[in-house]
Amino acid sequence: MEFEDAPRQHYTEKEKQEIFNNEFMPHINSMYNFGYRLTLERDDAKDLVQDTYLKAYRFIESFQKGTNAKAWLFRILKNSFINDYRKKSKEPSKVDYQEVETYYNSDEVDRQITPDLRVESLKDMIGDEISNALNSLDVDFRTVIILCDLEGFKYEEMAKILDIPIGTVRSRLHRARNLLKEKLKSYAQSMGYK
Amino acid sequence: MATSSNPFILADGKKPSCMEMLQSILDGEATPEQKEYFKKHMDHCMPCYKSYNVDMTLKELLKTKCCGGAAPEDLVAQIKAKINTTA
Repeated sequence: MEFEDAPRQHYTEKEKQEIFNNEFMPHINSMYNFGYRLTLERDDAKDLVQDTYLKAYRFIESFQKGTNAKAWLFRILKNSFINDYRKKSKEPSKVDYQEVETYYNSDEVDRQITPDLRVESLKDMIGDEISNALNSLDVDFRTVIILCDLEGFKYEEMAKILDIPIGTVRSRLHRARNLLKEKLKSYAQSMGYK
Repeated sequence: MATSSNPFILADGKKPSCMEMLQSILDGEATPEQKEYFKKHMDHCMPCYKSYNVDMTLKELLKTKCCGGAAPEDLVAQIKAKINTTA
């Protein structure tokens, strides 16, 4: 559960409460949104967030006061999702990363035509199109967009949260955005944009 | 030197593609020199200029459309109650 190789901390009960209330709880809304975007079910999101906070409290001495609490919490939630929730729902991981990375590192990627999505058609998506398109992506692609575009994590933080190299963060993000744009392009077409 | 070298070139000497440069800019991962270089690059690279605007709009829309919701009110209370019983 440790984020860095930080030495184990020793906190009094009062300090634990302070860290929990002042450093962990302020992220509850982002955490809930992350949980919801992963599970796509409000009740599951609640369970996942509650479970994450209880774990964070239990392992609070692995957390160094004043460091990046949000990234630490997101990492716990992501791991809980993979280990507990995903196992329960028995959803197999659909993404073959080898294939994705090979694709990305080939010349093919530069020859690929970016979906011709226009700013105007994007701006006309005033309903749930963007949200639905995001939710429709495979969970591993969805995750990098949530971390980067919704939550503003840096690549380095994302690499730590997801336990993957920065190069993989970049390539997965690139692929995720192209998939998202493909979805949105088909929405735009159905709205009458060419 | 009049021709400024590309600050995106990596240690291994590999020249990054437009897409790779654009991604660094979009995600705030570029250095000030890289930002300056890309700004000039966009003046003569139409695909980059177009992609920049689409990608930036999409990034902003994702943030406004897909976050901002609050966690259910009872969730905080439930967590605190559980912590207090286990503490």
